[in-house]
Amino acid sequence: MATETMGLPFEATSAAAWLVWILPFVAALIMPAVGKASKKFTGYVAVGFALMSAVSAASLLPVTLDASEIHHQITWIEAIGLKGGVLADPLSVIMANVVGWISFLIMIYSTGYMKGDKDITRFWFWMMFFIGSMQIIVLSDNLLQVFFGWEGVGLASYALISFWYRDKKKDHVGTEGRTVLGLLDYYAPTHAGMKAFIMTKVGDVMMIAGMLLIFLFAGTFGFKELMGDLGWAEAMSAQGLLVPAFVLIFGGAVGKSAQFPLNEWLLEAMTGPTAVSALIHAATMVKAGVFLVARIGPIVFALAAAGIMAEQFFEIVAWVGAITALLLATQGMVNQEIKKVLAYSTGSQIGYMMMALGVAGLSHQYVDGYTAGFFHLISHAMFKASLFMAAGSLLHVVGSRFMSDMGGLRKHMKKTYAFMWAAGLGLMGAPFITTGFWSKDAIFAAVYESGSEWALPLYGIAILTAIITAFYTTRMMGLVFFGNKSKHIEKMEEEGHHVHEATLSMWVPYGILAVLTIGIGLIGLSAEENIHHLFDEYLDHSFGIHSEHYENGESILPAPLQGLNPVALGSSLVAFAIGIGLGYIFYIGRWVDATKFVNSNIFFYAIHKVILNRWYLNAIIYWCFVVAPLWLARAVYRYFEKTAIDYGMNDGFQKAAGWGAKVVQGTQTGVTQSYLFVFGAGLLFIILILLI
Amino acid sequence: MEYALLQAVFIPLLLSPVAYILGRKMGPNAAMWFTFAVLLYTTVLVIQAAMGGTTEEHYPWTDLFGEFGFLMDGLASPFAIMIYVLSLILVLYSKPYMIHRFHEQFEEEQKELQAAGGQSTVVESRSLTDYVNAKSGLYFALYLVFAMGMLGTVLATNLIEFYIFFEVMLIPGFFLVAIWGDGPRRKIGLMFLFWTHAGAVVLLLGFLMIGLTIGSFDFADIRESEIPQDIVLISAIAIAIGLGVKLAVFIFHIWLPYVHGSAPTPISALLSPAMIGIGAYGIFRLIVEFLPATFAELSIWFHIWGLVTMIYGGAMALMQDDIKRLLAYSSISQMGYILFGIGSMSVLGLAGAEMMYVTHALGKGILFMMAGIIIVKVGTRSISKLGGLAGKMPITAVCAVIGALTIMGVPPTSGFMGEWILFYGALETAIEEGSTVRAVTFGLGLVATALTMSYMLWMLKRVFFGKTPEHLENVKEGSWYMTAPMMVLAGFTVVVGIYPDIFLQTIIPYMQGVLGV
Repeated sequence: MATETMGLPFEATSAAAWLVWILPFVAALIMPAVGKASKKFTGYVAVGFALMSAVSAASLLPVTLDASEIHHQITWIEAIGLKGGVLADPLSVIMANVVGWISFLIMIYSTGYMKGDKDITRFWFWMMFFIGSMQIIVLSDNLLQVFFGWEGVGLASYALISFWYRDKKKDHVGTEGRTVLGLLDYYAPTHAGMKAFIMTKVGDVMMIAGMLLIFLFAGTFGFKELMGDLGWAEAMSAQGLLVPAFVLIFGGAVGKSAQFPLNEWLLEAMTGPTAVSALIHAATMVKAGVFLVARIGPIVFALAAAGIMAEQFFEIVAWVGAITALLLATQGMVNQEIKKVLAYSTGSQIGYMMMALGVAGLSHQYVDGYTAGFFHLISHAMFKASLFMAAGSLLHVVGSRFMSDMGGLRKHMKKTYAFMWAAGLGLMGAPFITTGFWSKDAIFAAVYESGSEWALPLYGIAILTAIITAFYTTRMMGLVFFGNKSKHIEKMEEEGHHVHEATLSMWVPYGILAVLTIGIGLIGLSAEENIHHLFDEYLDHSFGIHSEHYENGESILPAPLQGLNPVALGSSLVAFAIGIGLGYIFYIGRWVDATKFVNSNIFFYAIHKVILNRWYLNAIIYWCFVVAPLWLARAVYRYFEKTAIDYGMNDGFQKAAGWGAKVVQGTQTGVTQSYLFVFGAGLLFIILILLI
Repeated sequence: MEYALLQAVFIPLLLSPVAYILGRKMGPNAAMWFTFAVLLYTTVLVIQAAMGGTTEEHYPWTDLFGEFGFLMDGLASPFAIMIYVLSLILVLYSKPYMIHRFHEQFEEEQKELQAAGGQSTVVESRSLTDYVNAKSGLYFALYLVFAMGMLGTVLATNLIEFYIFFEVMLIPGFFLVAIWGDGPRRKIGLMFLFWTHAGAVVLLLGFLMIGLTIGSFDFADIRESEIPQDIVLISAIAIAIGLGVKLAVFIFHIWLPYVHGSAPTPISALLSPAMIGIGAYGIFRLIVEFLPATFAELSIWFHIWGLVTMIYGGAMALMQDDIKRLLAYSSISQMGYILFGIGSMSVLGLAGAEMMYVTHALGKGILFMMAGIIIVKVGTRSISKLGGLAGKMPITAVCAVIGALTIMGVPPTSGFMGEWILFYGALETAIEEGSTVRAVTFGLGLVATALTMSYMLWMLKRVFFGKTPEHLENVKEGSWYMTAPMMVLAGFTVVVGIYPDIFLQTIIPYMQGVLGV
């Protein structure tokens, strides 16, 4: 039981670090009882506990000021000598606050969004379980405990994605009747939940293999202990197991963060209530993977300082991130469902973060990429939560998930319109005023300056993705808010349902986040510098990773932008301009009809089709890992289990026994002559044997 | 407490006629509460003995076989506790299920009588009550003997004693299936008797070879004596095959889907979680502990055999429509995990295998009870006729999900604590020996967990989620007798999952001792 607190202005205690994740679980546990007493009250309990958890997280903030840490352990599994504990260092404290506060806002939003649902108790139970599990991941001091939270978020996502388990038609995603390679591209909530759970489990299986490998050599799961004596890493490196182990752990992150090739569950996850989507995409679940890489990345990098190289790990992280960023961004351009567009965008943005965290390890300035990736995580959490909640309001009001059923909404939902622009600009990376711009620019700079052999191709992908991001965001805004009202809305109005603004408890949360996106964006550069400075100290302090402080000397940029990379800045501006420009032409100004344009020649048509069919990745995965194994199992069942085992052994023995009985029965003829004959023959036989 | 283990084993046997008479005279309630009281007392005895560390009792027996003793050590105590805890809470569950079954059979028999006699007999309620009373007396009497047989096997300290108890649990099992099973119950009961008895005979051959070679059947003597190499190998293989039948590993699993599918559900819930795992206990005690050199030779084959069983059972479970048969194949797969862990030949691998027994007992117990509630309340066991039951029976649904998570090995259920330790053990040996085969089996074993997850989630989806068919509109939640036992197990699995020391504290020192670490 060692508590370390070092020179804090006021004391952040380890109790707070425990409470951050225990409180949501307490709320989850009492939820059924509260629900029994009064369903209305469940919302207050949930919001209250989410707030308390967030406040506990905030009370840990002093830790970040001087890059100190709180590390508190208790005995857990004595038989194996394992300890459990909390580790509140700058990384986890910032993350805990992002998770805590954004979750809190989403909980407020949920009180409006889920109003009147008869299964509301179950909803709150899983939401609190979700937040608690995520905070375990963030604040644990060892991998095994992280894994508890890890599976906890998997479980909660399974339960929440298939929350509307009655599989009503309106809760499906995809277009009914549409097939890709002979498989339906139309999913029920229960199917989607299962898909998410099993697909992330594939990642988890890899993660546990990696964890066990490390435990085998290090004898500990603890992050602090791993940094103590590096003998384990040398031994693993000598056997060539170091990189595989860390890559396997990264496999877990690939699953949870929906990175290529385990990205396909994220789209179907849209069957859950929108509040859940917001939580999954902004605060919990997919961010867990990025956090894990941020947790173990410095350990791997620090090993390099000790002469144990594991560069391939970072190369793999960077490339997986880059491929995902581009792959999912392209699909965002063509999809018709608003939540799916946002989901693609999440996967793509997470790809950016992975790319930054990977590139960091390939450069000499680890802290640059590290900060860029993490800063992007924070800014993405804000604008994506805001976008999702706003999209939820649209769904709520319009009653359809298709953007083709919206259109011309800007006059009716002014607040939502404004906030979506603000958050959307953050996603696009609108220059100088949004957090998204600064964090994306930092990633560009980190990739560009990394000096890695892969720097140029990665940089190209990053820029291309930025163009596409700006384009699809503009497209989304155009389709939803501009143009004429869709037939669906006209029909609704004829029936007397008028399109109106969302309720207060719904628009306030996403309003706050949209304003923050712009607000922090205005001071973005200094915010980033602060985080940079903080992580610089943290990495130095905890992992012994020093960065070289060098001055760029003369820069062509004006004074306020000193320290930025001019190339990255320039390409970022150009990418934004091209993307939003193209988007404006097609979807806001509507000077060119997009459908006609796509159909104008076979090349565009083919590309559009491939992208719309999700690059056939989903269909291929289903054929290889669902259809084929089921077919094989059926064949084995029919031709082996039912024939060789059942018929061959069970019936076979029965028949053999029956036949044997008949043979024996046959000898009991009761005819004296035949007995005598057999007796005589036997006697003769024995005599013959004796004679020979 | 003196004679604690003796009491724990023999009190249920001695009092089983009382349960029978009580049932006959006073009806199912009296028989149930009497059985419950008997098992409660003996369960407390077992748990007390387990908490007191290693307990041994010796009683004189015949000169021919040696001593009659009971041993409760780190290996036996988790088995003993799980067997009696399950038996205890399933007593409560038995009553509503079996009464439902008696009513069904009564109607069947009446129909047969009518068909045979051709005359229309008016069914009086009086005769139905008599029928139920008589049958419940018989049921609980057999139940007590079944439970004590299982406990006796894991506490035995003598090969012949082990064999006797091994057979004692088979006989009531046979009657329970043959009298109250579903489908062609006599045939299936006979199948059960035949295959497990055939296994037991092979086992006995192995025992006799060892016993006659060293001139004693006592465990204590076997532990100390040197047995000639050729005899050891043959007898170890005979023992492994004999126990393999009980464990229902691949190829020898023939009887299990039929028996688990047909047996009355509370008995399925005892057979599958508690009984078949006793095969694993036998392998631990007789092969791992007594014949370590042979075990080292055979371990890789156990490992591969286990892996094949895991994957095969899982794949077959995917194909089932009968919910109890699905669970039966799942049990085969889980026994594969245990054998896989035994084959890992490392402290944590073996400890994980034993944890798998505990966790499988908890998880599968819950799931079989879930199946029973569906049979009673819905009247069908065909998965394709079910759907959307979560809204109709929420408690059952929640418990079933927890049970499924336990089988899948998802934290915070005990399943995870069994699984990671097990796989760690497999990995440890693979790396230490630098064995490619073991590395591959480790990888495939992890893949098998994804398979386990698939069939479990798919089963849950088809039973509890999705659209509710019209004929299920009026389905109600099961009674407290049925749901409360499930909830107890569900709570227990989470407690063990978060605080596995409850069992690991005793298991790990034992395994360390056995492997000499």
